[in-house]
Order: sequence, then C-alpha cells, then structure tokens
Amino acid sequence: MPTVKRLRLVAVAIGLILLLGTVGWMWQDSLVHGEHSVTDMGRPDLGGGRPTTDHDNEHDHEHGLSIAELQDSETGAADVEVLLVARSERIRLDSGRDMQALTLNGETPGPVIRAEVGQMIEVELRNASVTDGTTIHWHGVEVPNAMDGVAGVTQDAVAVGESFIYRFRPQRAGTYWYHSHQHSHEQVPLGLVGALVVEPPGGLDPAVKDVVALVHSYGGTRTINGRTGEVPIDAAPGDRVRVRVINTANGPMSAWVSGVPFRLLAIDASELNAPSLVSDRQVQVAAGGRADVDLVVPDSGARIDLGGPSLVLGSAPPAEPRPELYLDPLSYGEPAPIDFDTARPDRRFEYTIGRRPGFVRGMPGMWWTINGRHYPKTPMFMVSEGEVVHVAFASRNDVHPMHLHGHRMLVLARNGVRATGSPWWVDSLNLAPGEDYEVAFRADNPGAWMFHCHHLGHAADGLVAHLMYEGLTVPYLIGDGNEPE
Amino acid sequence: MRRAYRIIAFIIAAEVVIQAAAIAWMISGLGRWVQEGGVLDKATMEEEGGPLPFPELVGIIVHGMNGQFLIPLFALALLVIAFFARVPKGVTIAAILFGLVVVQVLLGLAAHGVGMPALGLIHGANALLIFSTALLAAHRARAVRPVAEHSAVTDAHG
Repeated sequence: MPTVKRLRLVAVAIGLILLLGTVGWMWQDSLVHGEHSVTDMGRPDLGGGRPTTDHDNEHDHEHGLSIAELQDSETGAADVEVLLVARSERIRLDSGRDMQALTLNGETPGPVIRAEVGQMIEVELRNASVTDGTTIHWHGVEVPNAMDGVAGVTQDAVAVGESFIYRFRPQRAGTYWYHSHQHSHEQVPLGLVGALVVEPPGGLDPAVKDVVALVHSYGGTRTINGRTGEVPIDAAPGDRVRVRVINTANGPMSAWVSGVPFRLLAIDASELNAPSLVSDRQVQVAAGGRADVDLVVPDSGARIDLGGPSLVLGSAPPAEPRPELYLDPLSYGEPAPIDFDTARPDRRFEYTIGRRPGFVRGMPGMWWTINGRHYPKTPMFMVSEGEVVHVAFASRNDVHPMHLHGHRMLVLARNGVRATGSPWWVDSLNLAPGEDYEVAFRADNPGAWMFHCHHLGHAADGLVAHLMYEGLTVPYLIGDGNEPE
Repeated sequence: MRRAYRIIAFIIAAEVVIQAAAIAWMISGLGRWVQEGGVLDKATMEEEGGPLPFPELVGIIVHGMNGQFLIPLFALALLVIAFFARVPKGVTIAAILFGLVVVQVLLGLAAHGVGMPALGLIHGANALLIFSTALLAAHRARAVRPVAEHSAVTDAHG
C-alpha cells in the first residue's frame, strides 16, 4: 500500500515537472531579449525564389547598403514645408469630454498636408512632450525606406526635445494619412494622426469641391476631422464633391450615401478605372484604408454616414439606414492593363493568420500566429529588387487589416474568385475571417518594410512580419526606446 | 490539503458569480451607451489605447481575464491538490471541473466575435454546471467523519 501511494506521488510529481518544464521552456523561448535588429527577427521565407545573399550568412549585417542611405539625396528647398510639433496635453473633445491626448501643433487630428505629385515635401517633426518618443509614418505613400517613420526599423524614435526631418516626393495622387509608428497602438488612438492629400500635377480641378473626412475615434466617440454628430460641409446644390474618407481605427467601418447615387473614385490612393454610379450600397473602408467618394449635391442635399457622425452636404436629408449590400471592388469598374506580369511571380508567400495558446514576450494567452508560428518567429519575406511577388492571405479567426509599407498590392482574387473589375490596388486590405485573398506587387522600393496587421492592438500582440530586400543592413534596433507597435 | 481543496472549490464557485455579474454589468452599460448615441461596430469594438467609451466596459475585461487565466489556474490547482487532499471522489470531481472550465473557455472564444454565437447558449448553461460542480467539490471536502471511517473499513478489508 505505501509503495502504491509513493508511486502515485512520484507519478504526479513527474507529471508536474514535465508540465512546468514544457511551459517554462515555451515561456523562455518567447522572450525577446533586449535590443535586437529587425533583420535578426523572424524566419527568413524565400517564397520559392532564389536565395538572397545575406541569408546565406545570417549574421553578416555589417556588409551591404544601410537603409539609412535610402533617401532622396538632394538638399534644396522643399516645395511644401510643414512643422509638426508633437505634444502630450489635455484637450477638450467636441463631445465636451476632456481627454489626455497627443496633439500635432496643438490639435488632433493634425493639419491636413497637401502637395502635388512630384513636389518635395519636407516635414519637420519636433517632439515637445511625448515621453515615449514618437515618429511619423506616411501610411500608403511609397516613400524611400529611410523616410518610412517606423521606430526601430527605419529610424530611432524622436525623443522629447529632438526633431527629425522627413523629405520625400510622392509619386501618386490620392488620399493618404500619417500617424505615429512608435507605440502606435497607444499613440494613434490618443490622436497622433493626420491626413495627407497628394494632388495631381498642376493641382486639383477647381470645379470639384475637395473634402477630407478623417474618421477617428476618441474614447469611443467617433469623429470626422475631430467633430461629432452632423458635420456640415459648405456645398450648394449642383456642386460636385470629392470626399476623402480615411479610417484610422483598428476595425473596418462603413460609409454610405443618402440622397443621391455616388461613384467610388479611389481606394487607398489608387484611382479606380471607370467607376459606375451606384446607390443602395455601403462602402467598406478597411482599418487604415481610404475611400474617395464622388457625388453631385442634389437640391434636397446629401449625407454621408460614417458609422456615427455624418457629413451633411447642402440641406440635411434624413439619414437612410445602412444598405445591406456592399459595393464589391472585386467587380466594380472596368479592367485596365497592369504594368507587370502578375501571372509569373518570382516569389510566392503565404500569410495565414491563426490563433492558439502560448507565450508572446513571456505572457501567456491566446495569441495570433502567422503561418502557425507566434511572434517573434513570424516570417521575414525575402525579396530582390524588381521581382514580382504573390502573397496568399488567409484569416481563420478575426478581421485583420493587412498593411504593407512602401508598396501597393494588386488584388487578384478573393476566395478563388478572380477580380474582374477595375484594377484594385490596396495598401490596407480588410481580411475577414474565413476569407482568403491573393495579391501581387512589384518589389520596386528597396528597404526593410513592415508587413503587418493594422489592428494596432493585434500588431502589438505580435501580428507583425517584414518584407526585406536582399543586400541591405538596418542600423536601428527595436527595444530600449524603440517600440514600433 | 482537504481545507485547501475546499477553499479553492469555493473560490471557483465565487468566480462564476463574478463572471455572470461582470458580463451582465457590461451589457447594461453598453445598452445605455447606445441609447445615448454610441455606435457599436467593428471599428468601435476593436478600439484600444484611449479612454473607455463607457465605464461598464471594465466588465468584459474582468470577464476575459478571469475566464481565460484565473479560473483555469484555480481549476488546475484544484486538480493538483485533489491528488493529496483525500477527498472522496475528489480527483474525479476536480478533473470534471477542470474539463468543464476548458470547455467553457473554448466555448467563450468560439462564440463571440465572428464565431458561432449559438455556442454562447451552451457557454451560459455550462457556467451553471461549473458553479454546481465547484459547490459539490467544496461540499465533498467538508471535514466529515462517516465517509472517512467508511473508507478506513474498506481499506481494512482490502
């Protein structure tokens, strides 16, 4: 009898030790130690392409071009000069509530920056009082890598009292936005956001009224350009209006037009080809995404609902309920030629997002996985300049807005259905659970680029990967002051 | 050990009460917030990092942390202690309780968001099973003589 009891005790003890040992090992394995380079993170994924040179010798980061060199070398006067002063301060929201927020030039959202295609934009970011440090990332703009504004990847966070100068020439007209990419899951909701509008060469058509509608939520109160409720736009019947909707949230939002049919002119700063007039459709704007809506104000006025607040153009028509059907960009507009061969990619990557229990940075929980692995063992997608890259996205559990820095992706198919409408370019793609997308892009902008979920909370929980060009070195370190997510 | 078993069993039962209260509190707060003009869509649901839209939202944070971490830990602790506590059927009850808790977490995760909302029905009902099983475990661990004597007699015969 005593032997049986002892055996039982020993068995229980061994079981416990095995369990604790395994859990302890998983915990230890999930820790990210101190400062580290983004090039040391993750598992290189060649996507079936030829091996890139620097990963034959994984720790050979001293050779090759530093990404800090990847910027416009000219130093002349800029066409558009902007000073952005970042502060942490208490503000009064339009709703009347007070909030400790982060502002740019004393306001949130920050100023709308406008420039023409090809003009040199120079933005000086000065950090007056954001204690964690900050940066500005130009969401959707194919900037040179050193101007991408990601702390620990393309620059060091700008500490209090310091400044950083961004210089770039935008190449494509459209609606963009900018936001902090340092502690972004905190700094973006607190207000470090603003709109960037790139106008065609020669400026906008003066016959069209241009309206920015940056939708940002402050503590659960959705606002348009910082204002709640019905936001009046100075427009008269007969006016043609282009409304640039920007969604800064972590989840998708719906935009719908009451009172008049509309056209969807652009998605994520890429014009759609031959967009037709539609009504009774809602437009889904992905987290981080943009949608440009065009309409002519009727005598009875028009309204654009943006999930709470609404824009009122002319006299205010009653709000119509949200249409059940979505405008589907997969079949909207007319096809147009693409300037690279999407049928013969040099690399094919898989980007499947799941979720399972485990440890991330030593914390237990149900964490996101990319291709079955938790952060920091998420993939580093290796490419060479000039290659055509395919990415197959799939999500199993939740909505993930997939955002690739420095490039735009062409949607080829969703759930196996080929795109038949206008070329549909995105930099922020709403990936719903159970959905899969196939996209292609040309690797034409060398650098180290974040390729992550723009649900910034998910990104902070490790839903982050990178696109890495061969032969480059990264002189910045994540950790100790630089926390991009 | 029997005492520890009993206390942890009671804690698990109390945790179920907290879970039910917290989630009902959150739903009530959400109702009032929507009445006052708040809009709940995916973008709002995923909001993080700023002030809470309404204070009762704390209820769902409590529910999530409690349900995914604390209660499973207590249930696991009860199972481990059961091997030493000499509670009649103590290991079996603790194992069933642990199993119910695991099922409960999985149901909770699978039901909300974009999963199968109908699983929420089972999630709610299973909570009562956990509650009563925890009470049963605590009841079994009372310092009662007759059961102990009975097993002593069986031991002697065996």
